[in-house]
Amino acid sequence: MSEDRLWKFRRPEWLNSIWARNAGVYGAGGLFSLAFYILLDSAVWSKSALNGSTVHVTFVDWLPFIFSSLGMLIINSVEKARLSADSFSYSGSGVAWKARVVLFLGFAALAGGLAGGVTVFVLKFIVPGVPFPALTMGVEVMLSAMIVGLSTVILWVSQNIEDEYSYNLSL
Amino acid sequence: MPTAGLKTIIALSFVLAVGFLLVILSCALWHSYYPLLVVATYVLAPLPNWICSHCANPDDFVESSGAAVLDLGRFCTGFFVVMGIALPVLLAHSNAITISAAVMSVIGGLLIYGTIISFAMFFQEEQEF
Repeated sequence: MSEDRLWKFRRPEWLNSIWARNAGVYGAGGLFSLAFYILLDSAVWSKSALNGSTVHVTFVDWLPFIFSSLGMLIINSVEKARLSADSFSYSGSGVAWKARVVLFLGFAALAGGLAGGVTVFVLKFIVPGVPFPALTMGVEVMLSAMIVGLSTVILWVSQNIEDEYSYNLSL
Repeated sequence: MPTAGLKTIIALSFVLAVGFLLVILSCALWHSYYPLLVVATYVLAPLPNWICSHCANPDDFVESSGAAVLDLGRFCTGFFVVMGIALPVLLAHSNAITISAAVMSVIGGLLIYGTIISFAMFFQEEQEF
C-alpha cells in the first residue's frame, strides 16, 4: 500500500478520521463558494455607481474562473483507486495510464486558469495603469482562480483520507 | 444526544422568529429587499445533504460506492452556507444595501440556519449503527 502511493509524503495521524474528512469536504465547498462570490462581487461592483472608471468586468474576466472550475471538475471525477492500480481486468488495459492522462488535463486546466487570472490582471489592469478602486476588480479575478485551486487541493486531500478510512475499517 | 422536550421546541422557534425578524427588518428599514435572498439560501442549504444521504447507502464501507454522492452533498452544503454570508457582504460592497443591513441579515441568516441544524440534530431518529 505504501509503495503505490501517488504522493510520498506522510500525512499526520490526526487527519485520519472521518471528522477531518467531512470538514475538509465542507471547507472545499465553502472555499469554492468564496471564489465564486469574490468574482461576482467584482462584476456587481463594476456595474454599480461606485465604479467611476471606464474599466468594466467582461466575459474575459470570467474565463480564468471557468477554466479553474473545469479543471476542478475533471480532477475530482477521476477515481483515486484507478491511479495506482493497473490490474483492473474489466475495463481494459492501461487504466492507470488513461486516468493519469485525464488527471493531467485537469491539472492543466486548473493551472491554465491560474495563469489566465494573472494574465488578465497584468494585461488589463497593470499595463494600462488603472488606479486603485478599479484595480480591486483585477485583484479579485486573480484571487478567485487561486481560491479555486486551493479548494481543489483540500478536496483532493480529504478524499484521499476516505480511502485510508475504509481501508482501516475493512481489515 | 440530549433529549428533546417542549422547552427545546419553544427555544428553537423563538430563535427562528428572531432570525426572521432581523432579516425582514434589514430589508424593510432601508426599502431594499435583496437580503431576503439570505433566507432562501439558508433554507436550501441542508437540502443537498439530505437528498444525497438518501441516495447513498452508508453501510457499504468496503465498496465505497455511495461516498462520492455524500461528498457532493457536503460540498453543496458548504457552498450554500458560505453563500449566505458572502451575498450580503457583496451587496453591501456595491452599495446595493447598507452595511448595517448586511450585518443584520448575516446574523439573522446564521440564526435561521443554526435553528434548522439544531432542530435536525435534536429530532433525528436514532438510526446510526
